[in-house]
Amino acid sequence: MSKRAKILPLALVPVLVLLGLYFKAYEKAAESSTKGPQQPILFSHKIHAGENQIPCEYCHSYVTKSPKPGIPSMQKCMGCHLQVAGRDVDYEYDGKKINIKQEIQKLKDYWDKKTPIAWTKVYYLPDHVHFNHKRHVLRGIECRTCHGDVENMDVVYRVPKLEMGWCIGCHEQNARNEEELTQLKDCLTCHY
Amino acid sequence: MQENKRGGIKRRDFLKIIGVVGTTAAVTGGCSSEPVEQIIPYVIPPEDIVPGIPKWYASTCLECPAGCGIVVKNREGRAIKIEGNPKNPVNSGSLCARGQAALQGLYNPDRIRSPLVKDSSGRFKPLDWGSAEKTLLEKIQSLKEQGRGDRIVFMSGNISGSLERLIKDWLGAIGGGKHLVYETFAYEPLKQGNKIAFGMDKIPTYHVEKTRFVLSFGADFLETWLSPVEYAKKFGLMHSYKEKSMGKFVQIEPRLSLTGANADEWIAIKPGTEAFLALGIAHVIATEGWHSSGISKEEVDMLVALLGRFSPDRVSSITDVPSSTIRRLAEEFVRLRPSIAIGVGAANTSTSATQTVVAINILNYIAGNTREIVNFGESLTISKASSFKDIASLVDSMSKGEVELLFVHNTNPVFTLPDALGFKEALKNVPFVVSFSTFMDETTELASLVLPDCTTLEKWGDYVPREGVYGLVQPAMEPVPLFNTKPIGDVILSLSKQLSGLEELFPQQSFFEYLRDSWRAIHSEVAPNKDFETFWSESLQDGGVFREVASPEVRLSRDILGVDFSEPSFNGEGSLYLMVYPSSRYYDGRGANKPWLQELPDPITTGVWDSWIELHPDTAKKLGVKEGDFLLVESAYGKIEVQAFLYKGIRPDTVAIPIGLGHESYGRYAEKIGVNPIKILPLAYDALSGGLAWLSTRVKISKTGRWARFVKTQQTTSQAGRGIAQAVGLEEIRRGLVKREEHHEPDMYKPHDHKHRWGMSIDLSKCIGCGACVTACYAENNVAFVGKEQVARGRHMSWIRIERFFEEESGFEARFIPMLCQHCDNAPCEPVCPVYATYHNYEGLNVMVYNRCVGTRYCSNNCTYKVRRFNWFTYKWPEPLNWQLNPDVTVRTKGVMEKCTFCSQRIIYAKDRAKDEGRFPRDGEITPACAQTCPTKAIVFGDLKDPESEVSRLSKDERGYHVLEEINTKPSITYLKKVKWDRV
Repeated sequence: MSKRAKILPLALVPVLVLLGLYFKAYEKAAESSTKGPQQPILFSHKIHAGENQIPCEYCHSYVTKSPKPGIPSMQKCMGCHLQVAGRDVDYEYDGKKINIKQEIQKLKDYWDKKTPIAWTKVYYLPDHVHFNHKRHVLRGIECRTCHGDVENMDVVYRVPKLEMGWCIGCHEQNARNEEELTQLKDCLTCHY
Repeated sequence: MQENKRGGIKRRDFLKIIGVVGTTAAVTGGCSSEPVEQIIPYVIPPEDIVPGIPKWYASTCLECPAGCGIVVKNREGRAIKIEGNPKNPVNSGSLCARGQAALQGLYNPDRIRSPLVKDSSGRFKPLDWGSAEKTLLEKIQSLKEQGRGDRIVFMSGNISGSLERLIKDWLGAIGGGKHLVYETFAYEPLKQGNKIAFGMDKIPTYHVEKTRFVLSFGADFLETWLSPVEYAKKFGLMHSYKEKSMGKFVQIEPRLSLTGANADEWIAIKPGTEAFLALGIAHVIATEGWHSSGISKEEVDMLVALLGRFSPDRVSSITDVPSSTIRRLAEEFVRLRPSIAIGVGAANTSTSATQTVVAINILNYIAGNTREIVNFGESLTISKASSFKDIASLVDSMSKGEVELLFVHNTNPVFTLPDALGFKEALKNVPFVVSFSTFMDETTELASLVLPDCTTLEKWGDYVPREGVYGLVQPAMEPVPLFNTKPIGDVILSLSKQLSGLEELFPQQSFFEYLRDSWRAIHSEVAPNKDFETFWSESLQDGGVFREVASPEVRLSRDILGVDFSEPSFNGEGSLYLMVYPSSRYYDGRGANKPWLQELPDPITTGVWDSWIELHPDTAKKLGVKEGDFLLVESAYGKIEVQAFLYKGIRPDTVAIPIGLGHESYGRYAEKIGVNPIKILPLAYDALSGGLAWLSTRVKISKTGRWARFVKTQQTTSQAGRGIAQAVGLEEIRRGLVKREEHHEPDMYKPHDHKHRWGMSIDLSKCIGCGACVTACYAENNVAFVGKEQVARGRHMSWIRIERFFEEESGFEARFIPMLCQHCDNAPCEPVCPVYATYHNYEGLNVMVYNRCVGTRYCSNNCTYKVRRFNWFTYKWPEPLNWQLNPDVTVRTKGVMEKCTFCSQRIIYAKDRAKDEGRFPRDGEITPACAQTCPTKAIVFGDLKDPESEVSRLSKDERGYHVLEEINTKPSITYLKKVKWDRV
C-alpha cells in the first residue's frame, strides 16, 4: 500500500467524528426542547385543555373511532370563537407578549377567507409505522401517557422520542398474558 | 495483490474507510433530522368522512360496454381502490383488470387539463369554460339560425340511459342532428343473425352457467366478448369441478385465445368457415333424429331440407375439421344437454359472420337450447349501437362536406377504424369538430375545440348494460382539482341555458338534477309504492336497480332459408390469414394509457409494454423466423413492423396481432408503443349485417433483419416435470383414484404452534388466467410499475403472477397457476435474513418488515417460489398517479425487498373492527384483493386452524397439493388440481 493511501483514511477520521457529533448535537436540540415549533397562531393547549378544561376528545373527535384522532376543523374552532372573542390582554409566551384577542382575530381572518390553518406537525411517525389511536384509547390508555402534560403546554411539544424501544416497552408492560405479549411484540402490529 | 497503478484507493481500503464512517455514525447517533410536515384541517368537515376510515361508493364501471357494478373505496376524499359490486347481477362482486385500472384513468398525469381551442397555426391553446362554451354556442347558434341543425352529428361510445336521452333530445331541439353510437366491437353479426333466425334484432344474455357443454365459435368470452366478467363467472360455475362432475367446453377458432386456452378441446378451424361446421353438427343431429322434442314437424322438415347439403364429409373439406370430430361434437352436444353454442367473437368476424350466427342459432334450436339458456329478455343495450355501415356512411357524408359540426364523445375512431375507411381525411372536411375526451387521443388531436369530460369516477350518470339492470354512476370523489374538467351532461345543459328556445326544454340546473328526473320514470315503473327519496337513496346505496327479465319464447324463422351459406372472401395476395384480436388488457386500445395494464403480462405470451405477431413454429421455420425477429407485415392497405412470437396455438396458415397498442397520441404510457394492426385492414363488410369484417385479409410476411429480445415475464412454457401446475383426469377422480399425497420429511426445527393460521386455497379448475388478481394487487398494495426495460431485466414487481405452462405433448394446452408468497411454515427465506427483516409471525404469516430490510436479497435467492421482489430503484408515480396510493400500505423505497403479505392491512383492519365487538374475525370477513376480484372465485382465504372455515375444508380436498411439496416448505397455500376431460 502506498503511503498516500495509508494516510488518507486516517485523515478522514476526525472529520467524520466531528460530523457525527454535529448531528448528535442537532438531534439533542430537537429532542429536548420544551418549546413547540413555530405555529401560525399561538394556539394554547394550556388555555383550552387546562384553564377551560375542554376534553381532548371534543376537538380530536375521531380518536375513539379511527386510527387517526383528527384535528378540529375551522368550523369547530369558530363554533366557540363566534362567541369567544378573547380577552384584550397580553399573554406571555417564550419571552414575548402576545395579545390574545389579536390571535383569535387571526383565526377569524382565516375563517373569513375560508382557508385552513397549516399547523406544523409535532408528532411525526414515518410512513412505515402505523399507529392506531382508537385501539390505544379504547384500551384505556390516557392521552397523557404519550402526549404528556398537554394541559400545561402552551404550544405542544413532543414529549417522548417516539422510538421503537419506547413503544415496545409499554407493550411489554401492559400485555395481559403471554399470548397478548406475543401479539404486541409482533413487528406486523405496526409495520406493514 | 497488485498495486493500484493510478495511486488511488483500492477496493479493500475503501471498505475500511466505509467501515470507519459507519462506526462513527453509529457512535454519534447518526443523522436523525425529520421532515417537517404540516397538518391541514378541514375548513368545514364533510359530514360522512372520518379520517382513517374508508367510505365506499357504489357506481358503474364504464371501461367497456359490459357495465359491471363497482364499489369505490374513498379515503380522505380520494378514490384509492375499485372492487366489484356484489349486488350487481352482471359481475356479482368481481372485476377484471381493466375495471381495476380505471383509477389510473382518473389519476392519469396526461389527462387534458383545461378546455382547448385550436388556433390558426393548428396548435391547441387553453381557455376557460366560459369562453369555450361561447365559442361552441356561436357555432350552434349560426347553424340553428340557418336551419342547418340537421348537419350536426354526435358520435359517442356506447351510452345508454339519461345521457343518451339528453343528447337525443338536445340534438332534436337544435335542429335534428344525428346521434351515432360507435363501438369498435358492436357485434353486428350477432344482432343480425338473431334477427334472421329468430326475428330478434338483439343480443341476448346466454346462461352458460345452466349448461353442461359449451361450443364456442371464436367467442372470447373470458376476455372481451359482450360481458367478460359475467361470462367468466358463469363459465366458472359451469366448468369447475364439483361433486364428481364438470361441464365441457370446446373452442373453435383459428388462433387459440385465452378463452380457448381454457377449453377442453381446441378445434383449429379454417378461418371464417365456422358456419359450415355449425351446420355440419346440426346436420348430424337432424339426420340421427337427435333433435329436441320441442320443435314442430314442419320445423324439422325445413331443417332437414336445409341441412341436407351440409354432410360432415363436405363440411370437413371446407373447414379442415375431420368428419369424425363433427360427428362426435354432435353427439356430445346432444348428450350433454343443456348445451349451448355461442359466437362469433370480434376476431373471427369474417365476411360470412352473420351466416355463422344463423348457423349457431340453428344448432341451438335443433338441440333445444333456446329459452332456458338464451334469454332475449335480458338483451344488451349494445344491440342499439350503430352498425359499421352507418359509420361508413357518416364518413361519406363528412367527405362530401355534409357534416358541419361533429361532436365526439368517449370514442376514438381515428385509432379504431381502418385507415382504408378514410375517417381521418374525411374529418378534415368537417369545419368544426368538438371532442369531449378526457385524454388527448388521435381523434381529439384533430378537433377544433376540446371540452374535457370528467372520468366516470368523478361524475353523475347512469348506464343500462342490459334490460333489467339500471346501473347508477355516482362520483366517488370530487373531480381531481388538477384538471379543469366539466361533465358532458352539465356542458350540454349549460349550453342549453344560453340558446334561445332551449331553456324551457332543459330546465335542470345540473345533470344531477336531470338524472334524478329521469329516474322518476324508473321509479314509477319499478317501485311505485315507495316514495321517490327512499327509492333514490336505496338505488344509490345498491349502485342501481336490478330485476330479472323473463325469457320470451322464440321460434325459428323461415328467413333462414334465404341465407346463402358461403365461404368468406379474403383480400390481399399473401399466403397467411391475418387475425387481429381485441386485447384482454387494452380492449380496443382505450386501456393502453394505464401503466398497470401495460405491465400486466399478456396471459398467453406473457409479453408486456409492446405488440407482437403470433405465428406457428412451422410457419416460422419456413420463413426462417425466430422469436424476437422484427417482421414486416404487409396487406394491400399498408404495412407494419412487429416482433415475432412463436405459438403452437395458431394454425400454420394464420398469424395474429393484438389490438390496442400503436397509439400516436394517448399520453406517455401509450404513445410509440407497439403497433396498431387495424391500420392495415381492408374495408370489408360482413355481408349480411354491415359490420366490419375483422378477419378479412391475407398478409405477406418478410424479415426485416432486425432482432431484439421479446420482453416477456415468463421465459419458459414448460414445467420441466416439476409438477407446479398439476392436473388430473376426470375419469380418474370420478373413480376415486385421486388421493391426497402427504409428504413427511424430517424437520430441523420444531413446528410452529399457531392458534390461528392464515391460509389460502386456489382451485386450478377455476383459474382462467385472466390476471384480474394481479392488477387488483397492484392497486391494493402500492406495487410499483417499472417499465419495459426493467421488466426485461426481470425486475417487475408484481406480488402475484399468473404462470402459464403448455403441455409438452401438444405445446398449446395451457395450465394457469397464480403464484404468490406461499407463507411457508418452514420458509426458506427466513433463516437466511441476517437482520430478521423477514420472519414467521404468530398467525402463520411470513412477514416482511421493510424498515428492517437492508437489501441483501438472500431471501429472494433462497425462495423456492421466486415470489420476492426487490426495489432496485425508488419507483415513481408521477403526480397525480400517486394520489391512488393506499395509505394503509407502506410505499417501499430503493434497496428494500417486498412480497405478498396476504393483504395484511386488510387482516389488521378486520381484526380491529372485530376487536371492537370483542371477537375474532369470522370466516369470509377478510378477503385479500386478489380473491376479492377473481371472477371465478378460484381463490379462497381464511383461517386454517378453524375447522369450519371454507379454506380448511378446501385444503383437505382430494385434489389438494402444495407446489414443490418435496422441499418441505409447508406452504399455507393449497392448490387444487385442475381437472381435465379425458382425451377422446
